[in-house]
Amino acid sequence: MNNPLFVVSPGLYIWSLVIFLLVLLILKKYAWKPLLDFLDQREKEISDSLAMAESAKADLEKVKEESEKILNEAKNQGKSIVSDSKQKAEDSANKILNDAQAKSDEFVLDAKKKIDVEKKKAIKEIKEEVVGLSLDLASQVLQRNVKDEDNNKFVDSSLKAMNTDEAKS
Amino acid sequence: MNNALKIFLVCLMLISPIIAGGGGETNKELDPVYEAISHVADSMKITKVGNSYEAGEISALFTLPKIYGIDFSITKHVFLLLLVSFITVTSIIFLVQKYISSHTKVPGKPMNFIEMIVVYIRDNVLKNFIGEKYYREWAPLVYTLFFFILVGNFLGLIPIFDFLGFINYFGSKLINIDYHNTFLYPLTKGGNTVTANINLNFALATITFFAFTIAGIKKYGPIGHWKNFAPPGLAWPLYFIVVPIEILGMLLRPLTLTLRLAGNMMGGHLALIIFTGLVMQIAQSYNSVLMGLAGASLFSVPLSICIIFLEILVGFLQAYVFALLTAVFIGMAVNVHH
Repeated sequence: MNNPLFVVSPGLYIWSLVIFLLVLLILKKYAWKPLLDFLDQREKEISDSLAMAESAKADLEKVKEESEKILNEAKNQGKSIVSDSKQKAEDSANKILNDAQAKSDEFVLDAKKKIDVEKKKAIKEIKEEVVGLSLDLASQVLQRNVKDEDNNKFVDSSLKAMNTDEAKS
Repeated sequence: MNNALKIFLVCLMLISPIIAGGGGETNKELDPVYEAISHVADSMKITKVGNSYEAGEISALFTLPKIYGIDFSITKHVFLLLLVSFITVTSIIFLVQKYISSHTKVPGKPMNFIEMIVVYIRDNVLKNFIGEKYYREWAPLVYTLFFFILVGNFLGLIPIFDFLGFINYFGSKLINIDYHNTFLYPLTKGGNTVTANINLNFALATITFFAFTIAGIKKYGPIGHWKNFAPPGLAWPLYFIVVPIEILGMLLRPLTLTLRLAGNMMGGHLALIIFTGLVMQIAQSYNSVLMGLAGASLFSVPLSICIIFLEILVGFLQAYVFALLTAVFIGMAVNVHH
């Protein structure tokens, strides 16, 4: 084959083999390996950050839910605390009122009793006074002195009568 | 640089091969086929024998001693091979290292292009054909093949040697010396596309061949790999047909890779030189420079520009096809379906 376009030249063939293999080795070491590693790393970084963003989103959702839950709980608790304290306040107010009522009732009762006792005492005193007065009056009317024995007898009997009257009444 | 100057330079570069080539044969009629062949071929003497052209001895830029009868002289294509390797290695390492060590991790425009291709080939070719498990082992080979061939193809679109011939011809006229004797003369006249040379392509295809053989042996062992040529479950007489076909297919793979790339790159350049050659042919047949210029403006320049755009597409496509097929062959050796 002697066509100028298809000349077989072993020299160029060997040159090409050697030089291409050299180019291959140099590029493999200094270009393709680092570049492929770099691309892989960058792709990993991108997918990692995407996944991170996704998980952060989910976390945010979760936190939001939790905070809402906590807020609701706090609201409920506050409500119950308020109603509890209201109840308590009402209760204590009622108690104080009742106590005061009872005390005042007691006072009234006491006073009534005292009044009763005083009344009885006063009535007794009045009766004695009345008796004395009536005796004075009677002795003045009779113009004579009844013996002390008789007097006393009379007084006692009339007192007894009075007492029985009183007891009856 | 303003646009008019740019257009002028492009036209100059387009026509320069003709001027450089035509200058060689001052007394003879212009032979478009000879010009076309010498535009694509490596540096050698080309002689016309009857109706065909024959390759003569190599006219090297830098003659080296023969080792075991193999001529290691630096021809134009060896020089181009070194240039392509140098450009590929320095530009890619520079861009990649700059990108990796940058703090912003934002690629520039050229690096963005490289990254786009690297990611595209990784996701659509390597992972698809070789598989998630083994692709990292073979990725550097596929990437290097792609970028090496791409740089070779694109460098071939720049008529470096033709432009040097243009400078050589007029430069030597200016200082009144014979342009055949200048130090630039071996570097003139075509041969820009190193990927149009079957020797280089066959070297690349050889590497592909060893790559898929080694991949298969690594996966299935030295015996298991060769056993894959005989798929189980066939009637025994069929093996006499299937096994030779499989082996033939394997051996033909590097050959098809070589010829596909060389044919595509060569075809574009032949079309380009024929279209630009129209200028000289028109000028010669009408014996007037004015007619030549009219022909250039009407046919040569528009057609050449179209072909160059097509060549950009083809150069890219062929680099991709070579890398893709390498990945496919490795994948076929690694993932054998029974």
